Amino acid sequence: MFAVTYMIQLSNVCKIYGDNGAVQALHNLSLTVEQGERVAVMGPSGSGKSTLLNLICGLDEPTSGSIKLEGIELSALDDDRRTRLRREKLGMIFQTFNLLPTLTALENVALPLRLQGLRRRETEDRAAAMLERVGLKIRSHHRPDELSGGERQRVAIARALVFRPPILLGDEPTGNLDSATGEEILRLLDDLHREFNTTVLLVTHNDLAAAFCDRILSLRDGQFVKEVHTGRTGTASAGEP
Amino acid sequence: MFGALWLITFKQWGAHSIRVALTTLGIALGVAVFFAIRTGNATLLDSLHATVEKLAGKATLQITAGESGFSEKILDTVRATPGVQFAEPVIETMAQTSFADAGTLLILGVDTTGDQQLRDYQFDRTQTQISDPLVFLSQPNSILLSRAFADRHGLKVGDKLALFASDGKKEFTVQGTFKPVGVGEVFGGNIAVMDVYSAQVVFQRGRKFDRIDLMNAPGVPVEVLQQRLRAQLPPGVEVDRPEVRSQALENAVTAMRVGILITSFVALLVGVYIIFNSFTIAVNQRWKEIGILRAVGVEQGNVSRMFLSEALLMGVIGSLVGIAGGFFLSSAANRVMRGMVAAVYGVVATASPAKLHLDQCAIAFSLGVAASVIGAWFPARGAAGLDPALALHNIEARRRESVLGWRRMGSGLLLIAAGSALVAWTPSRLGLPVQFAFASIVLLGLTIVLPKLVLWSARILRPILNWIGGSEGALAVDAMIQTPRRSSATVGALMVGLMFVFSTASYIQSYRQMIDRWMNQVLNADLFVATSEMLRSSSYHFNEDLGRHIAALPGVDHVENVRFTAIPYQGDTAAVIAIEMNSFLERSQSAIEGADSSSVDGLLTHGEGVLVSRNFARRWGVGVGNRLTLEAPAGSLQRPILGFLDDYRSEKGTIFMDRALYKKYWADDAVDFINIDLKPGVDQLAMKQQVERLTAGSFHAFVYTNAEFKRWISSLVDQFFTLNYMQLVVAVMIAILGIVNTLLISVAERRREIGIVRAIGGLRAQIRKLVLLEAVVVAFVGVIVGSVAGMLCTVFMSHTVSLVLAGYSVPFYFPWEFVLLSVPVVTVVSLAAGWWPARHAACMQVIEAIGYE
Repeated sequence: MFAVTYMIQLSNVCKIYGDNGAVQALHNLSLTVEQGERVAVMGPSGSGKSTLLNLICGLDEPTSGSIKLEGIELSALDDDRRTRLRREKLGMIFQTFNLLPTLTALENVALPLRLQGLRRRETEDRAAAMLERVGLKIRSHHRPDELSGGERQRVAIARALVFRPPILLGDEPTGNLDSATGEEILRLLDDLHREFNTTVLLVTHNDLAAAFCDRILSLRDGQFVKEVHTGRTGTASAGEP
Repeated sequence: MFGALWLITFKQWGAHSIRVALTTLGIALGVAVFFAIRTGNATLLDSLHATVEKLAGKATLQITAGESGFSEKILDTVRATPGVQFAEPVIETMAQTSFADAGTLLILGVDTTGDQQLRDYQFDRTQTQISDPLVFLSQPNSILLSRAFADRHGLKVGDKLALFASDGKKEFTVQGTFKPVGVGEVFGGNIAVMDVYSAQVVFQRGRKFDRIDLMNAPGVPVEVLQQRLRAQLPPGVEVDRPEVRSQALENAVTAMRVGILITSFVALLVGVYIIFNSFTIAVNQRWKEIGILRAVGVEQGNVSRMFLSEALLMGVIGSLVGIAGGFFLSSAANRVMRGMVAAVYGVVATASPAKLHLDQCAIAFSLGVAASVIGAWFPARGAAGLDPALALHNIEARRRESVLGWRRMGSGLLLIAAGSALVAWTPSRLGLPVQFAFASIVLLGLTIVLPKLVLWSARILRPILNWIGGSEGALAVDAMIQTPRRSSATVGALMVGLMFVFSTASYIQSYRQMIDRWMNQVLNADLFVATSEMLRSSSYHFNEDLGRHIAALPGVDHVENVRFTAIPYQGDTAAVIAIEMNSFLERSQSAIEGADSSSVDGLLTHGEGVLVSRNFARRWGVGVGNRLTLEAPAGSLQRPILGFLDDYRSEKGTIFMDRALYKKYWADDAVDFINIDLKPGVDQLAMKQQVERLTAGSFHAFVYTNAEFKRWISSLVDQFFTLNYMQLVVAVMIAILGIVNTLLISVAERRREIGIVRAIGGLRAQIRKLVLLEAVVVAFVGVIVGSVAGMLCTVFMSHTVSLVLAGYSVPFYFPWEFVLLSVPVVTVVSLAAGWWPARHAACMQVIEAIGYE
């Protein structure tokens, strides 16, 4: 028998904040996400969604339990290795876009590649191609404050996917957008998912965003209380219409 | 309301304690340097005044005639003048003892019978078996020592003490000691008393005195007696109150004191930029808070006052800490200054502990507080001027436009041009304060254009840094583009610090080159024998016999005796170099300008005319053909000026005359330097050793080869500028505090940005690199603008300041090699300054930074 390697695997993860265990954000949480699968985590404020995302990103460490990305145990890595893992395996998109205000769209998108030490020309070519893919080629040299909310999120998506990460994490990717723009972004994510076969984990309040996923997990008081399969195809192959 | 605003302020201080501490430290350092120099200066002057006062005793008037003294016959005239209660002759000289570590001993030659009427000698009865030791001094070679000196060297009554006199080493018998009060306090106790007539013989003063101290009779006003004496005494003999003499000593060292004082302002000026920087940052950080305060009804005036009172409090704390630190440093400053006045001016000041001068405290405190408030003025005004509605949104962009607008750029350039024009075309006689006011206009203009310059520099540097340093390089420069005002304040602090470093280095280099050129023209004998290891000794001289002995040595071609002294001239003083004009003209003809050598050489060698230094001509507004009138003991000497030459030995200006003429009019055959020309092929070093053997044990003589003599003069130049260098180091240290401050704030302001870079895969090392590169960029731009400002400052110092202080301008030379060398030095220093902020940034919690939750 071969052991299955999940893209994301959480086993009995607990996260407690405060010296006296004042806030228990996550209780014995377990989760597996397969390659190409799209999972939405929904829940009210304070349910532990962002904590979950921080732990998967390696930005925070669990109080107990195990988190593996592509079979790699995060707790076994030091900060630099976790950071390298993040920049090689995880694309991240945020509700507030988190673009660097002084950089142009092209420079923002090229940034993860440049942080990986790739040559400038190559990073720019790949960033330009990615911007073209998200429909923003003509805005390449604009700074974030010269872009609309939807355009900023497209740039953020381009930045998240420019290095072809196997996993894409999203924190309320449509939370700051009007519904039309939100839908547009979700359609883009859908297209890109089909194209790159990326594993997606979204944290959201938004039903529409959740419906874009194959599986919806409801999180309440640090525990999954419900799991719904939406019936969408999770493992879309590249080029699938 | 103000109480509530103070509460907000204190909360802010708590939240930004490092910024507040660094800013206050910047002010404290600036004040400390300023206060240390002022106190060191005041202690030096106190010491000079106290020395004159103690040596004068109860004298109400003193009679002098420059350094060469006057005929003893004048004493009879003075004593015979109605209204003189008593008058006592004095010979005052510094002598070297045979103790290696004793330093110089002040010898006071006084009339043993009557001097106690004037001066306070408290004799040690336990050490002296006689009722009046002064009477015993009339025995030849008797001496009285201060108890301090005797104790230091284990001397008792009856012991012998060897002193170097003009004609060789002499032994004296200690006849008693006096307590460390009154005269005994002078020069830290390094004082001895002997009979004035013995002193005349021992120190070869002929039948002359250096001074007569006198007291007016009761009922005769001092001014009346002064007029009466002036009418009685020949020209060249001066009658003044003792305080005028101490004032003259103070004037003699003015150039040095002013020079040091100027640089002491630099540290304070750098502190202004630090405060400006800090408050610009504070206002930037508190946009929202200001908007809310304005929205809830706080008036513009109160917002402004809130920031200004913060600055006031920082100024108060910084100034108090600075005064305490400065007082601690003032002893060291005083020690360096005493060394400088002794080395360069031959003025020996008593070492005395620093005293806390309340007036200096008040000045330093006021300036520290003023610097703080001035630095905070514009940021406070900016904060008060915020539109509450805009402040609640994005004000930064609007403000940046207004600060960096072309109108401001234009006014900055206009100020630079106007200030430069005023400096260039205003006559130097208006004095330094006016010239400095004009120079400040240039500095103000530079400060105004600085944000624009920083922005342009950053834009030029961005692609370069992007290429060299990758995305971290680009992000580092972006910080400057994003907040040019904040960066420009730090760059400004560095600019001022480096401006003075570069211009001082440049000035010193120019000065050195000028001195080298001059030395090559004028100082071209093979060997030199000097009376002192300082520029000159005003009291210890050789006699002409030594020159004759040296001339008799095999291998010596020619010996030239030189007298270098100071004479009274038109209410001030002038230096006189009395030289054997024949050989001087032979060696240094090319240095003389303004006259046809064939026509003037004969006149000069026959004492029918004089040469003057350029600074003398400029100071007194005289030229070739003008007749100089010099009041000498032998009468009024009138001679035409026959030519100019450069000479930098006295900022008062120098008159060159034939030695025979000087001896005739001043009855003074003392020698300060002996220039020796050797026969062809004679080894300089071997001959130097011969001359040293000849003088050893008998004369306090310093023998130099030509190269050594020039090196020695160069070392005096270095010593003259020591304190300036030390202060500039502090100024740069303060500027470095500014870098640390700016980077810490930059890290705090870019917290989110740094968090994002970390979140998308930026390593801690990359974040450190980003912050360190920002430090390097700030420093690099600081070096560029500092060198531009340094060039302007160099022109100002080498032309205007030098002309006002010394009467000559120094050729402009800008030390590019020094600027280039400063790039790696400043880079390393800025990296060190950036280390802590970089570490702080790298350790930042990403989740908190990007504002999850």
